[in-house]
Amino acid sequence: MNRTISVALPGERMFTRLATQIAASVAALVKGERENCTAADEFAHAFELAVSEAFTNSVTHAGQRSAPPSVTVIFLAEPKQLTVSICDTNAPFSIDTKAPDIESYPENGYGLLIIRKVMDKVTYRRESDMNIISMSKML
Amino acid sequence: MIITETSNGSIAIVALEGTLDALSAPELRNNRMVIDPDKMVVIDLEKVDFIDSSGLGALVGALRQKHHKTCGIILTCMNGHVRKVFEITNAQKLFHIFDDTMAAVEYAANQQGTGK
Repeated sequence: MNRTISVALPGERMFTRLATQIAASVAALVKGERENCTAADEFAHAFELAVSEAFTNSVTHAGQRSAPPSVTVIFLAEPKQLTVSICDTNAPFSIDTKAPDIESYPENGYGLLIIRKVMDKVTYRRESDMNIISMSKML
Repeated sequence: MIITETSNGSIAIVALEGTLDALSAPELRNNRMVIDPDKMVVIDLEKVDFIDSSGLGALVGALRQKHHKTCGIILTCMNGHVRKVFEITNAQKLFHIFDDTMAAVEYAANQQGTGK
């Protein structure tokens, strides 16, 4: 059985932590149904990290608007994987970026690298003027 | 995030507590002890429960300011989740990392004494 949870949050930096806490809780709940606490904790941390990076990107690239845009976080729990999608109405972007060169002490550019390292699958699509980045991890 | 500053001789010890993300990273970027290019700093991460790329970037940025100088940043007491972020980004290559803060302070004092 597939289950979906959808949460719309204001696209403001102060709501990033709330989004990550929701992600960690949902992931721990889904993983905890079938695995031990240690596995659920690692699974939850992966989603906490991925959502922190993607939500921060949405907030950072929202641009100047009269009111903060909403960012929607959608979880899809399927029998073999959990997917979280971050949806915003910002300008289109690409997820095909190069990993930063650590030897040059970069301050930025780690976000997508971290997402790719902790998730099994990352996709991006543009749909009805929305950016949708979807990040999945096998259960 | 809570930042507590102490010192041991000429070594600054900065203990962080809470979450190191995009919301809190500016506090670290503006901390006088951390960004002082002439100060060797031991940053105690024992009470940091979460770090993301923004927090990591703040630490790397602070270290960059001290690069090629006789001082640096030493990180201590990372929990498993924090350590994982350093491992998957390879940022662990940039920092001296200790499990014990006092051992790190001793190491920093020795480095300063030998001018390294």
